Amino acid sequence: MYLMSEFSDQFTLAGAIQALKLRGADAADLDVFSTEPVDLPAGLLDRPSRMSLLTVCGGAGIGLLSVFFVYWTQHNYEIVTGGMPYFSPWATGVIHFELTMLGAVAGCFLTFLWESGILRRDKRAPVPKLASGVLYLRVRCEPSQMLATGECLYQAGASKVEKLEERA
Amino acid sequence: MATTLRTLPHDQIQEDTWRTLRNTSPQYVTAVLLTGSVTAWGLICWAYQISKGLGVVGKTRPTMWALYILNFVFWIGISHAGTLISAILRLTHAAWRKPVTRAAEAITVFCLMIGGLFPIIHLGRPWLFYWLIPYPNSRLIWPNFRSPLLWDLTAILTYLTGSMLFLYLPMIPDLGQLGLHTGGARGLLYRTLSLGWTGSDREWHALERAMKLMAGMILAVAVSVHTVVAWDFAMALAPMWHSTIFGPYFVVGAIFSGIAALLLIMAVIRKTMGLEAYIQPRHFENLAKLLFLMSLLWAYFTVAENLTVWYGNQPHEMAVFGARVRGRYAPFFWSMVICNFIVPCVLLGIRRLRSIKTAVISAVCVLAGMWLERFLIVIPTLSFPPLPSAWGTGYNATWVEISIAISTFAAMALLYLIFAKLFPIIAIWEYKYVPDE
Amino acid sequence: MGVQIMAEQPAPTASHRWGMAIDLDRCTGCEACVVACHAENNLPVWNPTEAARGRTVHWIRVDRYYEGEFPDIKVKYMPVLCQQCDEAPCEPVCPVYATYRNPEGLNVQVYNRCVGTRYCGNNCPYSVRFFNFFPPQWDAPLELQHNPDVAVRMVGVMEKCTFCIQRIQRAKLDAAADGRPLADGEIKPACVQSCPAEAMVFGDLNDPESKVSRLAASGRATRLLEDLGTKPKVFYLQRAK
Repeated sequence: MYLMSEFSDQFTLAGAIQALKLRGADAADLDVFSTEPVDLPAGLLDRPSRMSLLTVCGGAGIGLLSVFFVYWTQHNYEIVTGGMPYFSPWATGVIHFELTMLGAVAGCFLTFLWESGILRRDKRAPVPKLASGVLYLRVRCEPSQMLATGECLYQAGASKVEKLEERA
Repeated sequence: MATTLRTLPHDQIQEDTWRTLRNTSPQYVTAVLLTGSVTAWGLICWAYQISKGLGVVGKTRPTMWALYILNFVFWIGISHAGTLISAILRLTHAAWRKPVTRAAEAITVFCLMIGGLFPIIHLGRPWLFYWLIPYPNSRLIWPNFRSPLLWDLTAILTYLTGSMLFLYLPMIPDLGQLGLHTGGARGLLYRTLSLGWTGSDREWHALERAMKLMAGMILAVAVSVHTVVAWDFAMALAPMWHSTIFGPYFVVGAIFSGIAALLLIMAVIRKTMGLEAYIQPRHFENLAKLLFLMSLLWAYFTVAENLTVWYGNQPHEMAVFGARVRGRYAPFFWSMVICNFIVPCVLLGIRRLRSIKTAVISAVCVLAGMWLERFLIVIPTLSFPPLPSAWGTGYNATWVEISIAISTFAAMALLYLIFAKLFPIIAIWEYKYVPDE
Repeated sequence: MGVQIMAEQPAPTASHRWGMAIDLDRCTGCEACVVACHAENNLPVWNPTEAARGRTVHWIRVDRYYEGEFPDIKVKYMPVLCQQCDEAPCEPVCPVYATYRNPEGLNVQVYNRCVGTRYCGNNCPYSVRFFNFFPPQWDAPLELQHNPDVAVRMVGVMEKCTFCIQRIQRAKLDAAADGRPLADGEIKPACVQSCPAEAMVFGDLNDPESKVSRLAASGRATRLLEDLGTKPKVFYLQRAK
């Protein structure tokens, strides 16, 4: 069961979220939809993120992989280098740096896909058709809580509250 | 930390930006046909070159690298436009960048694509270019990672991937909006590319976080890419190439030419797409000031390089230096100084002269000057190798390579025209969003 | 992927290190070496138009240096060929390992591996590397006199002097078949063989008794562009100033 409410500005929206959280609502059940990013007070609707960590991990991982790759393949292929060492890390350092950055970029992008919810989208949850200038707050709640939550939203200043079922 | 003034209602912003996506003017069709035919001519010339051999171009011994490598460096240099505007200005919270970020990022991606094509065009056996890629094979052959050309390959692939993602990421919300309001095959394209963007706060948070990280990483990659391109030359023993200044020199030159290209393209899209309300005189003012600054920086590096060579008086290097400054290539050199230094400093340094028109004139001059600079880096050094018996008759470009070089400009324009028709050239959500500061 | 090189192949003889000594006081500049190299190594012959564009290929060329003013002019002739450098600048820059130094010290060019980036040509300070801008051609009947021991290169690959590696291989095989070691002076590249002034000497630098080793150790031995640190193995003998 979902309640879709509409707000005209971020301050009333913040007030509504605050009110809902005071009543025991969990941030995981709340979703804000908008055509631009909405600035809410810090701590109100924070989404924990590991993007920086995963970017660094991705970079370090691919970078190390590139070092092993260059080392192992240059040795494995028994290349005739005529005296040039099989593995010269300074000479190939640029390649390791670039592949580290590539790994970091990939890590960042993949984490974005995951954390934004694009990869694990719940097809059943209803999504509003966005209109410019309107902020939507979707609250997932039990049917028994529906009336109380709706009241709370109206009192906080929602211009419209709509009850929506899960999509098929 | 300036914020943009939101003077236009959101619906109008959307309408203005989407108008050019819907309506196709006869000028647009003409432009596409013109650039398309020039590009096709370039491809025909390339096919001719492959069938007959590289002898149809002007390269000889000792100038074994000439117009193609020159253009390669030139295009990779221009690709720094996006990096500067999107990455650096994003990191410094310069809000005036917002209407031009996507245009700049698109320049980066297409310039990289075109620039990356040139090393293949210049190969003696281009059908074997894939031998530079490490792939498992039964012949026990492997590329040489020690070679600066392999560094080039890695760097440009990384930069291309990074900048394509950097262009794509902020486009996702706009594609979502477009997908809602567009039908047919085009709407399907938008909806697929937008990955089902719903505009939820999770998505926005993740996007903004990703953009911040990407901006920093793209900056690091961009600096490294043009340094690596510089090291194609600096790692060689050739006179006036083997210089430690090449890395930073090329990066500065790249940002310089990137700003010029961005200025030019901004002026063009402002006029042709009716975006006068979005790309305002102050954008040109700021970019003009940046161009002026980069001109001074470029002049500093040029003086540093040339003064060191002249003072050192090494015979091998003085032969090249003399040809550049006094001899065969002197017209190129002094034109370059005028285009890169005198014109921008006069037109943009003197406040009364600074205007959109003079900014565009300076940008065109700088682009020509930077092309000349790449010419002067590649060709005089190769024309005057250490042993004078190899000095030869000099380099004369033929119609084949000139055609291919010109066709890449047309290809760039064509790619840009197609991009501007398919995707909104202004990042609408970014433009509308004014962060609390 | 992890295939070892076949153990049945004969181990390369690392005992030889080929070098050359050229006596500049004997060289008359006749360019017989240039012609001989053309004949031996299937070098293409270009027409005057291409020659004017600098496309001629001479694996060995004779450079002329004029010293002094008329009437006290001295001319120095210097045959310049691939110096087979021990620290060759052309080797590290090839992206596909098409050029490397073999165990006998020769800088070899693998024609069928070359993709034609021409970086090696730029990095050679002696300008001894050549590129096939067009498919090589010969006016009739020169195409009938190709040396069957030497490959004919295709368009788009680099080439340079090989110290007549085909002659080195032939001599080594003959010596192995006869069961005797190689004698000093047995191998003569085409240029060395054809020099009427006997200004060029070829031999094994690893053998301290060979003629080339003794000449290289003499007080008259110099090397070209020595300060670049390429360690060339071609020694030019000239009167020390």
